[in-house]
Amino acid sequence: MNLTIEKLTKSFGEKQALNIDHYAIHSGETIGLVGNNGAGKTTLFRIILDLLHADTGCVTIDGVVDGQPVSCDTSKSEAWKAYTGAFVDTGFLIDYLTPEEYFRFIAKISGISDAVMHDRLLQFDGFMNGEILGQKTLIRNLSMGNKQKVGIIGAMLHYPKLLILDEPFNFLDPTSQLAMKYLLETYSKEQKATIIVSSHNLTHTLDICSRITLLEHGIILKDYDRDYAMLNSEIEEYFRGQQSGKN
Amino acid sequence: MEFSRVRLLYQLVSHNQRLQTRRHPMFEKNMAMKILSYIFIAFWAVYLVMLGFTAYSYFEGSALEAFDWVDGGMIWFLIIDFLSRFSMQETPAQNIKQYKLHNIPTGFLLHTFLLRMGLQPYNLFWAFFFVPFGLRAIPQFYGMLGFFGFIIGWWLMYVLNSYWYLLWRTLINRNFHYLAIPLLIYAALAYWGIFYDDENQWLFTGTIRLMRGFCQWNPLCWLIFCLVVVPLYLVNFRLQKVAIYVEIAKTEMVKQFKSHNMTFLDRFGVIGEYLKLELKSTIRNLVVRKQFITGSLCMLMLCSLFSFSDIYDDLPFMRVFICVYCFTCLGVMTLTTVMCAEGNYIDGLMVRKETVLSLLKAKYYFQCLMLIVPSLFSLMPIMEGKISWLTALGCLLFTSGAVFPFIFQLAVYNDATIHLNEKLTKTGRDTKVQMLMSGAALFLPMLVMYALVQFFNDEVAAMSMIVIGLLGTVLHPFWLRNIYKRFMERRYANMDGFRNSR
Repeated sequence: MNLTIEKLTKSFGEKQALNIDHYAIHSGETIGLVGNNGAGKTTLFRIILDLLHADTGCVTIDGVVDGQPVSCDTSKSEAWKAYTGAFVDTGFLIDYLTPEEYFRFIAKISGISDAVMHDRLLQFDGFMNGEILGQKTLIRNLSMGNKQKVGIIGAMLHYPKLLILDEPFNFLDPTSQLAMKYLLETYSKEQKATIIVSSHNLTHTLDICSRITLLEHGIILKDYDRDYAMLNSEIEEYFRGQQSGKN
Repeated sequence: MEFSRVRLLYQLVSHNQRLQTRRHPMFEKNMAMKILSYIFIAFWAVYLVMLGFTAYSYFEGSALEAFDWVDGGMIWFLIIDFLSRFSMQETPAQNIKQYKLHNIPTGFLLHTFLLRMGLQPYNLFWAFFFVPFGLRAIPQFYGMLGFFGFIIGWWLMYVLNSYWYLLWRTLINRNFHYLAIPLLIYAALAYWGIFYDDENQWLFTGTIRLMRGFCQWNPLCWLIFCLVVVPLYLVNFRLQKVAIYVEIAKTEMVKQFKSHNMTFLDRFGVIGEYLKLELKSTIRNLVVRKQFITGSLCMLMLCSLFSFSDIYDDLPFMRVFICVYCFTCLGVMTLTTVMCAEGNYIDGLMVRKETVLSLLKAKYYFQCLMLIVPSLFSLMPIMEGKISWLTALGCLLFTSGAVFPFIFQLAVYNDATIHLNEKLTKTGRDTKVQMLMSGAALFLPMLVMYALVQFFNDEVAAMSMIVIGLLGTVLHPFWLRNIYKRFMERRYANMDGFRNSR
C-alpha cells in the first residue's frame, strides 16, 4: 500500500505538534520513524489512523487489494481499516477479554476461520514464548510486555497490507525484541506489506527498515534511504549533536 | 454493509459488552463485593415490589385514581432515575475506543451501543414497582391490555431518560459544570409544572394524560414518544461521534498548570513535605479528588441538615446519627483506601527511611485539619441549643482519637492500587476488609454515643467521648508508629499486591 501525506498540520494550543508538507511511503517499504520525545511520531500515527483530527491536510492510503485498486482519505472513509493493522498502545486492547478471546474476535470481524486463525497464531509461537495463550488470564492482568505482544499479534493477525506499530520494542525483553525483528522482516517479505514503525531503539530500527525518517518538533528533518553504514553514523551523529546542544 | 456482517458484528459487540459487565474489575478479585451487589439489587427489587403493592392502597379513595398520582409524579421518578445512572451508566465513547482500530465502522458501533443503551436491563428495573402497582391499579379500568400499555409506557419513559442522561453525562465528562443544566431543567419543570400554579399543574396533568394514552394504546402517545426519542437519539449520535475523539485524544491534551510550592508548609519539615504531597495528590488525581469532593459534599450536606433543618429535632437517634456523621463521613470515605493511591509509587516510598510513617502522620494531620469544617457548622445547632458544645467536642475528639485510629488500620491491610486518573467504577476497589472496617467506622461511633445517651445522659455520653477521643488524639504518635511497624511486617505481601493491581 502507498501512503501519502499532504500539507498536514496539527497544533495543541500554541504548540505545533506536526507540520508536514508532503511525505510519501511506497508499497512494500518498511519505514522507521525516529525522533526524540515530543517529536510528533505518535501524533502522526494517530492522525494516519483517524484517531485525531488534523488541523489541515490529509492522509491518503492507496494500492491494490485482492486485485482491486483502492484509495481513501483516512479521515473521510473507514475502508482502509480492512487492509490496515495497527497497534498504538495498550489502551486500545479490549482488556476484559483473554488473549484467545481477543484473537478470536479479530479473526471473526476479519472473516478468518478458527482453523486459519490457529495456523496463523502458530507463526507467532516464538514471539509469544508460551506466555500468552493458555494462561487463563484477562489481557488487563498480563504484564506490559505481554499486553504489547497481544496488541502486535492482534494487528498482524488478519495479514494487513499496511502495518503501523508505535514503539513495538517497548516493554519487550531482549529475546522478544529479537523475535519481533525477525517477525517484521519475515512479514514484510512474505506479505509484501508496507510497514511503519516508530522506535527509540535505533539499532533495531536500522536493522529492519529500508527507509528512516527523522522527525523533530513535528517536522521531517531527514529522510534516509537504506545504507546501513552511512545511516548509522549520520543518525547517531544527529542525536549526539542534539545531546551536546542540550549540554 | 451486508446483513450477515451486521448481524455478526452486532453479536460480537453484544457478547463483548456482556463479558465486560461480568468481568468488571470491581468484581474480579472480590466475591464478597459481587455477592453484596446482588444482595443490594435484590433488596431494592423487593423494596420496590412492596412499595408498588402498598402505593395503590395509599392512594385508594383519593380524588384521583391511584395511577394518576403515580403518573402525575413522573418527573420525580425520572429525577431519581437520572441521578442513579451516574454510578452505573457509561458513555459509548468510553467503550468504542477499544474498537476504533478494528475493521468495524464507527457509525455501526455507535448505533449498536446506543441501541443497547436503550434496551439495557436497567431501564426495566423500575418495573419491580410498576408491575405490582399496575396490576392492582390498571386492569379494573383499562383491562390487561391497558396494563401492558402502562408498563411499556413507563419503560419508554426510562429509555428516554437514559438518552437524556447520556447527553448530559457526555457533556459533564467534558466539563463538570454542565451538571447544573439538567438539574436546573428538572427543577424548573417541577416548579412551573407542578408547584407554581395550583390551578394549572400542566406537567402533572400532562403526564397523567400521556400515561392514560399509553394505557389506551393511543397512537398519539407513541407518536409523541417517537418525536422525542428520534431527535434525542440523533443528537446523542452526533455528540458521541465527537466524544470518541475527545476520549482518544485525552492523553494528547496535557493541561499546563501552575505549580504551587506551598511554602507555608515548609516550617513543618518532613511532615510538611508529605502534607504537600497529600494536598497535591488530592488536587491533581481524578480518583482521589472525586473521593474527596464526594466526602466533602456528604459532610456539607449532613452539616447543613444538622444546622439549618429541624426535621430531625424530634428524633434523638437521628440527631446523634447526623451529628456523628458530620464529623466522620469525610474521613471514613477517603481513608478507606488509605495507601491505595500511594500503591502507584510505593517502591519509591519504600526505598527511603520511615517515609511511610511521615506519610501516615501527614495524612492524619490533614484529616484532623478537615474536621474544622464540621466544627464550624456545628456552631449553629450549638447556638440554637439543639446540641451542647460538649456533644460537638465529643464528636470531634472521638473522630480524631477513635475513628481515625480505627480506620487507619487499613493502611496495614490495603494492598490494591487505585488508578489515580481512571473512573472510580473502573478501579477494582473495596475489599472485604475495607467494607467491614468502613462499615464499622461509620456505625460503631454512632452506636456508642447512642448507647451512652440512652443509658446515662447527653453530658455523660459527651464526656466519655471526649476522654476516649482525647486519649487517642494525644497518643497518635504511638498508634501511628504501631501501624507503620505492622505495615513494614507485611510490606512484601502489600507491595506485591500493589504492583499486581497497577
